[in-house]
Amino acid sequence: MAPGEFFYKPDDYESERASNSYLMALVVIMAGLPLPIVNLIASAIFFLSNRRSAYFVRWHCTQTLLAQLFTLPVNAAGLYWTLGIIFDRTPVSNGYVSYLLTIILFNLAEFIATIYAASQTRKGNHVVWWFFGPLTELLVKA
Amino acid sequence: MSRVAAQFALLAILFFGLWFLLSRFDYMRLLRVDELTKEAEHNLAGLILDELQKGGDELGSDTVLSIVGGIKERLCAANGIADSSITLHIIVKDEVNAISLPDRQLVVYTGMIGYCKTPEELSGVLAHEIGHIQHGHIMKRLRKEVGLSMLTTLAGGDAGSEIARETARFLSSTAFDRELESDADAAAVHMMAKADIDPQAFADVIFRLSREKNDIPKRLEWLSTHPNTADRCAEILRLRKQETFHNRPLADEASWSRCKKSLRRKSVSVK
Repeated sequence: MAPGEFFYKPDDYESERASNSYLMALVVIMAGLPLPIVNLIASAIFFLSNRRSAYFVRWHCTQTLLAQLFTLPVNAAGLYWTLGIIFDRTPVSNGYVSYLLTIILFNLAEFIATIYAASQTRKGNHVVWWFFGPLTELLVKA
Repeated sequence: MSRVAAQFALLAILFFGLWFLLSRFDYMRLLRVDELTKEAEHNLAGLILDELQKGGDELGSDTVLSIVGGIKERLCAANGIADSSITLHIIVKDEVNAISLPDRQLVVYTGMIGYCKTPEELSGVLAHEIGHIQHGHIMKRLRKEVGLSMLTTLAGGDAGSEIARETARFLSSTAFDRELESDADAAAVHMMAKADIDPQAFADVIFRLSREKNDIPKRLEWLSTHPNTADRCAEILRLRKQETFHNRPLADEASWSRCKKSLRRKSVSVK
């Protein structure tokens, strides 16, 4: 996830827009923790509104959206499992507690990575995440 | 593309590997989940029982208690259930009702004992309630209907008597889900057969209750909490055919008569 050079130097406006895509994800995490779909919807709206933006902005919006897309089923499964316990369809088990801890750790990692990416893109630096970066590379054309 | 696939595979391995490693710890013991649940159930049962006892005195040592206790003992012994694990409470009240509470507490009103014509009929009612206890239906239902937060407050002992009263009223006057009722009926038929009691008696008492509901609707609380009588009787009789048992009497005539006489002395309506 090291910051690097983009193939062109994004201007200040582009850096701000790209950074905002991460900030948007960051802000909605608060609302999205109980309802994971909120994160995805917010990122999708931001992605759609930046479809015709500069390449740098589109690239980072896509990376954020993909990260949200992959986090959604993981968090939704946790939510579904928790609701099952609350409504007593399933008992609390070791599997449940360990799953909850795992998704908390993954969400925490994503949270930290998002803050880092937001600050770096604001400076015009390019941040390529593990897996989501190369996938974005395949999807977003210059 | 292969780079994406490789990184995805590594990410998946990391996720499931972490989940697997974390699941090696015994959180149930670390978080005392079972202990806390038992403690909460115990406190909850105490509160509800206090509330029910306000409606009538609890019988101490008595002919009635020994007969009903004997029936419970036979059902438990035949089905590999520790008799001492289920606490029986008989409350002097004219209402025809029996209620299973959290913490494996079983409450039978004298109205129900008086209503049953034979000890076998009473054993059907007891077996049904023991079925609810054995399947953990009571906490399941309370969690679903009353809510976890209220249960926690109740268990913590901070709740007002109003909440305890409401929970007691809820347990004694509303029905379980149809599915839970069917489970308890099936358990009752099986338990009775194992104890060499003809499950026909269980169907008989339900049928009689439904037939007489128009005459004494107020007293027949147990029926209102156990609806769909015709279907239930048919299902009980169908399940009965699948069981093998050698009918052995539960109590001799003299003991049952003594039990009824004792109830009459307590001004309970007796069949």
